[in-house]
Amino acid sequence: MTDLERHIQDIRMAFSEEIAAAETLENLDSLRVRFLGKKGEVTSLLKGLGALPPDERPRAGQFVNLLRDELEEQIRTRKDSLEEKELERLEREDHIDVTLPPRGRTGGGFHPVVETSREIIEIMAGLGFSVALGPEIEDDFYNFEALNIPPSHPARDMQDSFYFPDGKVLRTHTSPVEVRAMRAHGAPIRIVVPGKVYRRDSDPTHSPMFHQLEGLMVDTDVSIADLKGCLGALMNAFFDRPLAARYRGSYFPFTEPSLELDIECIECSGKNPSCRICKGTGWLEVAGLGMTHPDVLRAGGIDPTRYTGFAWGMGLDRMAMLKYGLTDLRVLFEGNVPYLLSGRNRSC
Amino acid sequence: MLVSWNILKTLVQCGSDIGKVCERLTETGSEVESVTRPGKKLSGVRIGKIREIEAHPAKSSLFVAKLDLGGEDAQCVTAATNLSNGDVVAYAAPGATISDGTKMGIRDFDGVESFGMMLSAEELGVPEIGLEFGILRLPADAPLGANAVSYLGLDDVILDLSITPNRGDLLSHVGVARELYALFDDAVFTSPRIERRSDNGEWPIPFKGVFIEDAGCPGYSLGLIRDVRIAPSPIDFRVALTLLGMRPISNIVDATNYCMLLFGQPQHAFDLDTLPDREITVRAAKDKEPILTLDGKMRTMSSSDLLITSGGVPIGVGGVMGGGDSEISDKTRNVVLESAGFVSQRVSTTSRRLGIRSEAAFRFARGVDPELMDPTLSYTLSLIESWKAGNAFPTVVRAVSKIREPKKVSLTKSKMQTILHWSDLSEAGRILGRLGIRRSESDDGSCTYVIPSYRADISIEEDLIEEVARIRGYNDMPSRLPQTFHERGDAGAVTRTQFDLRACAIGRGYVEVVTYAFVSSEAVARLRFPKDDARGKPVKLANPISSDQSDMRTTLLPGLMNALSKSLAAGWRDPVRIFEQGRVFLGDGENREEREQCAGLVFPGRDFKSPYGQSEREDFFSIKGDVIALLSCRGYEAEFRQGSEPFGHAGQTADILLNGERIGWLARLKPAIEREMDYGAPVYAFEFECAPLIEKRRPSFTEIPAYPAVYRDISLLVPCAIPVSTVMEQIRASAAELLWDLRIFDVYQGKGIPEGMRSLAFSLSYRNAKRTLTEEESDEVNNIVRAKLSEKGYILR
Ligand SMILES: [Zn+2]
Repeated sequence: MTDLERHIQDIRMAFSEEIAAAETLENLDSLRVRFLGKKGEVTSLLKGLGALPPDERPRAGQFVNLLRDELEEQIRTRKDSLEEKELERLEREDHIDVTLPPRGRTGGGFHPVVETSREIIEIMAGLGFSVALGPEIEDDFYNFEALNIPPSHPARDMQDSFYFPDGKVLRTHTSPVEVRAMRAHGAPIRIVVPGKVYRRDSDPTHSPMFHQLEGLMVDTDVSIADLKGCLGALMNAFFDRPLAARYRGSYFPFTEPSLELDIECIECSGKNPSCRICKGTGWLEVAGLGMTHPDVLRAGGIDPTRYTGFAWGMGLDRMAMLKYGLTDLRVLFEGNVPYLLSGRNRSC
Repeated sequence: MLVSWNILKTLVQCGSDIGKVCERLTETGSEVESVTRPGKKLSGVRIGKIREIEAHPAKSSLFVAKLDLGGEDAQCVTAATNLSNGDVVAYAAPGATISDGTKMGIRDFDGVESFGMMLSAEELGVPEIGLEFGILRLPADAPLGANAVSYLGLDDVILDLSITPNRGDLLSHVGVARELYALFDDAVFTSPRIERRSDNGEWPIPFKGVFIEDAGCPGYSLGLIRDVRIAPSPIDFRVALTLLGMRPISNIVDATNYCMLLFGQPQHAFDLDTLPDREITVRAAKDKEPILTLDGKMRTMSSSDLLITSGGVPIGVGGVMGGGDSEISDKTRNVVLESAGFVSQRVSTTSRRLGIRSEAAFRFARGVDPELMDPTLSYTLSLIESWKAGNAFPTVVRAVSKIREPKKVSLTKSKMQTILHWSDLSEAGRILGRLGIRRSESDDGSCTYVIPSYRADISIEEDLIEEVARIRGYNDMPSRLPQTFHERGDAGAVTRTQFDLRACAIGRGYVEVVTYAFVSSEAVARLRFPKDDARGKPVKLANPISSDQSDMRTTLLPGLMNALSKSLAAGWRDPVRIFEQGRVFLGDGENREEREQCAGLVFPGRDFKSPYGQSEREDFFSIKGDVIALLSCRGYEAEFRQGSEPFGHAGQTADILLNGERIGWLARLKPAIEREMDYGAPVYAFEFECAPLIEKRRPSFTEIPAYPAVYRDISLLVPCAIPVSTVMEQIRASAAELLWDLRIFDVYQGKGIPEGMRSLAFSLSYRNAKRTLTEEESDEVNNIVRAKLSEKGYILR
C-alpha cells in the first residue's frame, strides 16, 4: 500500500465517523467544506498529485476521484435523509386540532314547506304532471262559482275567506287554478298547482296563510283507479317507503265521487295506541280527492261527455310537518332562524 | 252530529258491533270522530226509596236516610236538604263507583255509619239534568233496586259523526239509521211509529190560517196545544238531550228538540197568546226591518231573509231563530207549533249574514226532507200529550206553496265502467235500493232511478255512481298508473328559476324562510315610501284577522325584518342570513299585479368571538357577492350602480342591474330604521324580481388559453366622485381585446392623497390567444391604457 492509498484510507475512515455524527444540515455542510471544499482534504490531495511521478499520476488520480465521488454520494444521501427528517419534524410541529369548528359562513337550510313542494313537484313531473300557477288574489267566480260553490253553499262555511273592498278574495284553495288551466289549455291536461292559500282562521293548528298542492288530470279514460295509482305512487315516493292507504268516501263540491285518503301512520304504522301523530288511530289524513265534477269540467270549457278527470288537494304544510317531524304550524311562517335550523346545524 | 247508540238501536238492528258500525260509517263518508261512553265510570248505582229521613243525632247539618232498595235496606248520611220520606233516589252502595271514578265505602259520621251515598246529578256525570240543589230525585214509579244507570239511559254510547254538507239527511237519528240499513246487508230498519193526524176539522179556537207569500217556504204546518203545563221534561229525555249536546229547558221546547234530533225536522213553538194576530204569514223581510230574536238581540233584516209574521209583525226568522216576544215562558198556556220547510240557500244566506248558527239553521242550510214536516209535527204532539204537558189537537193548519215532483236520475253502464272500472247494473240497483233509491225504468245499458225526497243531494249520474262506489268501498277498487302519456311533466320556467335561486342561496349559507303575505300598516309605513311609490300603497284586506296582518305586502322586506326580530328575540347571536321567494302585490283594480320576488337579509350577528380571533363580518360587499351568485346561477351577470331607496342607507344603496335594466336593490338599511327596530348592528338586504331571470342563459365555453399571460399593474389617483366601475370600463375600452383580466387590488384615500381624490391600483393581465405575447407588445398596449387614463385627467403614479 502506497502512502497515498494509506492517506485515502484515513480520510475515508475519518469521514465515515464524522458523517454518522452529522445530525443537522449545518453539520453536514461544514463536513462538506472540510473534505470537499476548496481547501478541503480531498481537494488538497488532488492538488498534491502533481508531485507524483508522471507514470503514477493516472492511477493515483483515479483513486482520489473515486474517493471524491464516494464522499459526495454519501453527503447527498445523508442530506436527503436529514431534509426528510426536518420536514417530518415540521409536520409534527404544524399539527392542528381538526376538531375545531370551521371558519367562514355556516351552512344554510331549506324551508320544509318549500322543500316539500319541490319534492312533490318532481315526483309528479315523473308521472307527466306539469306545474300550473295562478293568482293569489282571485275572483269569486274562479274561487267559488266555477267550482260548484254558489254564494249560499254550506261549503262556504268551511272556508271563511279574506275579502278585498272590491269583492276580490284571497284564494281559499289552489283549485281556481284548475279552472284557469283548463280554460287555457283544454283537454287532455295533467297539472299540479302548488301555492299559498288563505283562510280566516288562526289557532295552533290553523294559520291564516298556508300551502296546498293540487293535482288535476283530464283525459278520455280517467278513472278512480288512475287516481289511486297516482296518489299511491306520490305517497310512497314522498315518504320513501311503501305505505298502506285507506280511501274513504267524502264530499267536496267540485268532485263527484269525492274521497279522502288516509295513509298508514308514518310514525307508528298503527302500532302505538298513544301515538302523538295519529292519535292512536294508525291513520293520517293526507288528501282530499275525487273525480272532477262535470260542472267544473264545463266551467273549464271541457266537454264532460267526452272527458273525465280526477283531482286531489293536499296541505303541503301538513305533509312537511309529517315528513320533517314538525309540531307547530304557525311557527313555520315566523322566519325564526333558530327554529328553522334546529336539528340541522348543531352549533359547537 | 252526536248520535245516541240507544236511540239508534230502536230504529235499526244489525249484527255488527259499535266498532264495525263506526268503521263502515267512516269509510262511507260519515267520519266517526269520537265514541264516548258517558256512564263508563258509574257502577253499582241502584234505585232506592227513602223510607225515612231524619236529622243526625249529633251533627245538625247532616241527615240520616234509611233506604228501601226493593227488598234490601241501606242507611246513609247526607248533607242535602231537599229530601223527604218517599223520595226515590240513585244510591251508590259500598263498592260502587260514581262518575268521577270515586269508589264508595263505609264512613262514620259522628257515630252514625254511612254505607255509600245518595247521588246528585253531578255525581252521576250529568249536572244539566238536575232541577234543584242537592240529591237528584227520580220519578216515584222508578223500579226499586234496579240499575239506575240503565234506568236513566246513562249506559248509552255517543258517536260524534262528522256529516258532510251534502248530507243534511244524516243530521238525525232516523237518517243515520236509514244509512246503516244501506251499509249492512243484514240490517232491519224500523221507523218510529207516527199517529197520522187528519187535516180536516177545526181548532177549538178561531184561527185565520197560515199564508205563504214567498217561495222560500215550500210548506208550513202548525199544530195547537192547549192547557199547556210548562214543566221539566221526563228525566230520561233530559238525560238523552244532555248526552246529545242540548240543554234541557222545558217540556215543550225539549219535545221539539228531541224530535228534531230524531227526525231532522226543526220546529218552533210560539206562545199563542203573545201573537199579534190569530194568523201566521211567511214573507220576505223588508229591507232594514227589525226583529228581536230569542237570544235577546235586535236584528236588522234584509230583503233576502224569510220572516214569520203575525198581524204583520215579525215573530221569527224563518228557519234560523224564533222571535223574543213570542217565546215559550213559564206563563205560557197555549202553544202553536211550527213545522215548516225553508229553502236551504235562503236560510244559509241569512244565518251566515246574521252570524246565527242555530241547530235549525244548520239543518235547513244542508237541506231538510220536505216530507218530514207533518210526521214530525204529529209525533211531537203525541209526545207532548204522552208527557201530559198539554192537550194537543189532532188537526193541523197547513199551507203548501208547491207540489214537489220526484226527481229521476239515470245510471249508465258505460259511465260506471269509465269511473269505477266496474259495471254490474243489477248489483248497483240492489245497493241503491237499500238507500231508498228505487229503479223506475231500465234497458240494456242504463237504469232510471227515483230519488227519495230526503236525498236532495243526488241530481246527476255521478251522484248515483258515488253512492254505489262508497257503499261497495273504494279500497277494493283497482289501482293503476295513467295509461297514456302526452308529454313529459315540467316544473315550468318560473318554478325552475325559484328552485335554482333557493339552491344557490342555501348553498351560500342562507336560511330559506316563508313569511306571511300580509303585513301590518306600520311595517309598511316604517319603510318611508314617498307618495308616488306604489309600494307605499298596499292593497288592504276588507276583513283582516288582526291589524298585524292587514296589508298585502308590496315588498318582501317587512317579512324578513320581522323574521330577524323573531330570531333575535329567540336569543340568536350568530349571523342571520335569510332569504325568501314569494309574491308581492302591487297596484289596484285593473292594474293589480302579483310579482314573484326574491329577497335576502343579512345581520352580522352579535358575537364575533371565535377561536381564530375576530371572525370575518358580513358587510355590503359580502352580500353583493351573494347577489352576483344568485343572478349567475341563471346565467346572468349582475351590475351595480349607486342607487337610492327610501329605506336604504343614503350612502350604501345600490341598484341591481341586468342588461342595463334595474331589477332590484341592495342596501344597508337606513340607520334610523335599524335603531327603531333595535337591531344593534347594521342590517343588509336585497330584493329583485324573478321575471328577468326566468329565461335561463346558457354559458358558452371557450378553449383553455394556450399561451401565457403577461401582468402589469397600474396605480392612479382618481376623483372620489368617479366610481370604480367607470374607471374599469375605461381601462377595458382602451386595452381592447388583448386585456384578458382586470382586477382592482387596492383602494386608498386619506393621508398622502390630495383632498377629493383616491388612489386605485389595478392588476391587468394581457394575453394573445394565438401566440405568446412579448414584453414589448405588452408594454405597448399598457402604455396606451396609461395614456388614455391620463387623458381622462387621472394622475398616474
Ligand atoms: Zn301513529
